[in-house]
Amino acid sequence: MQSKRKQNFSLIMFALPALVVYAVFKLYPAVTGIFYSMTNWNGLSKEYDFIGLKNFREMLSDDYFWQSVIFTIKYVVVLLVIANVMALVLAVTVESVKKGKGFFRTIFCLPNMISMIIGGYMWRFIFYKVLYYMADNWGWKFLDQSWVGDTRYAFLSIIIVASWGCVGYLMIIYMAGLQGVPTHLLEAAELDGANGWKKFWNVTFPLIQPALTVCLFWTLNSSFQVFDVIYSLTGGGPGRATQSVAVNIYEEAFRGNIRYGYATAKSTVLFLIILIITAIQLKTTQSKEEEL
Amino acid sequence: MRGSRKHYQIFITLLLIIIGLFTSFPLILAFINSFKSNGELLSNVLSLPSKLYFDNYIRSLEKMSYFRSLGNTVFLAVLAVFFMALFSSLAGWKMCRTKTRLSKFLFAMFVFSMLIPFSSIMIPLYKVVLALGIKNSLIGLALIYAGLGESMAIFIYYGFVKGIPVEMEEAAAIDGCNSIQTFFLVVFPMLKATTATVCITNMLWVWNDFLLPLIIISDNKKYTLLLSTNTLFGQYSSDWTAILSALILAALPAILLYVIFQKNIMKGIADGAVKG
Repeated sequence: MQSKRKQNFSLIMFALPALVVYAVFKLYPAVTGIFYSMTNWNGLSKEYDFIGLKNFREMLSDDYFWQSVIFTIKYVVVLLVIANVMALVLAVTVESVKKGKGFFRTIFCLPNMISMIIGGYMWRFIFYKVLYYMADNWGWKFLDQSWVGDTRYAFLSIIIVASWGCVGYLMIIYMAGLQGVPTHLLEAAELDGANGWKKFWNVTFPLIQPALTVCLFWTLNSSFQVFDVIYSLTGGGPGRATQSVAVNIYEEAFRGNIRYGYATAKSTVLFLIILIITAIQLKTTQSKEEEL
Repeated sequence: MRGSRKHYQIFITLLLIIIGLFTSFPLILAFINSFKSNGELLSNVLSLPSKLYFDNYIRSLEKMSYFRSLGNTVFLAVLAVFFMALFSSLAGWKMCRTKTRLSKFLFAMFVFSMLIPFSSIMIPLYKVVLALGIKNSLIGLALIYAGLGESMAIFIYYGFVKGIPVEMEEAAAIDGCNSIQTFFLVVFPMLKATTATVCITNMLWVWNDFLLPLIIISDNKKYTLLLSTNTLFGQYSSDWTAILSALILAALPAILLYVIFQKNIMKGIADGAVKG
């Protein structure tokens, strides 16, 4: 048996490439970010000063920022529910179909393979041209809305496009979960007289908890940082009505203002929000799994 | 009973076909309209093109420097995935096999940092990039992807290595292999399936990621497909035939890869999720 020191040395040597890129591109930015959030660093001058919590105090009265926080929370909650319910229903339906399972799976997952930048621009064509065409020529007057220009409809459009992009991905995970449910349990439940819905709710659903946890975790994490779909579809507009936190931070740092210090302070707050929500989510799913 | 089952099958098949049409609707519409002239597109967006109008494509190929952007994207994605798989398999394996406190600490550090959202480090990261002089460097960008994505990859490798018996490695050591030989000759071949999962899921991520290249790459000779599509969209925002043909061109490689590697991609998503 080698000595501990020798083992640790060899560990460091093997982990070195991973450690270096990790330290330089993730750990160091994360740690220095906390420092920059307390400076007035901007893109114009080379020098910057430590200004304590001034950025955070300014943030308190920054209506655009809080508007983007509220928008993001609304987006996360609505997408989380809609996308996961749709994905689970689709997964169950596709699993129960006898012919063409693979075909449907392929089609439903297709949007996930395309970047939401491309997907968002394609949907823009639909919102700008196709729906009006249908409203004019087919008499479908309810489609005659300003889908991207009106605040209410812009939110709806974003949810439609975002769900379009991620439901297939979630469906694959749910399907993997469903395939892990042993058939003899379902048969036993059937013998006991359970009908389709009861079978699903009492046997299948508890057994796919891990898949549910993964999907909720993934949706939460990715939707809190939503950027691509908003950038390509509405650009944060009309005005700033559909700006997510990530878009707000991007604009603050790389467009117009170039206030890096202040933008970093905002991103620190975003990190804290995500951390708290993830902690709550892990806690609740853990206690749920213990119950089972 | 049997009759109702059959009706049910027909019903859900029809339902799924309708949902499938809705899902592919944007792609189909973009595709058929990309072959129309501007006038024809404006008069009817739902009809098939009366004759195939390839000018849109010729224009887009040139305007977005398609083949250069595609080459940049392939180079970036392959390099990023190569770094990520190599670095994290080395680290994940050694961490799993070393039972010291340092090893536990490193593993916990990697896993915990999965929670750090990209948007909260992007500005300090931008500063690091400027300081290292790797702005506009595709190799630099690939290394950044490795740094950001390897936490998850290490986690997956670590979990897989835990499940394979250590005896093979001990036997190799007795036969006179050093650690590096043991890793590349004995361990790495056993990790093939895991490596495929890591490569596929991260390849999709890098290929479709937009925000990081948007910040790091400003030289249009280094543009990825998404960046040049985005620029083209900014320049021709109302010229739909130019935009749609560009979008089809930009989506095409991803769709082709998907059709070819479909089974592996599905497995990659499911595996990555179950282990993650």
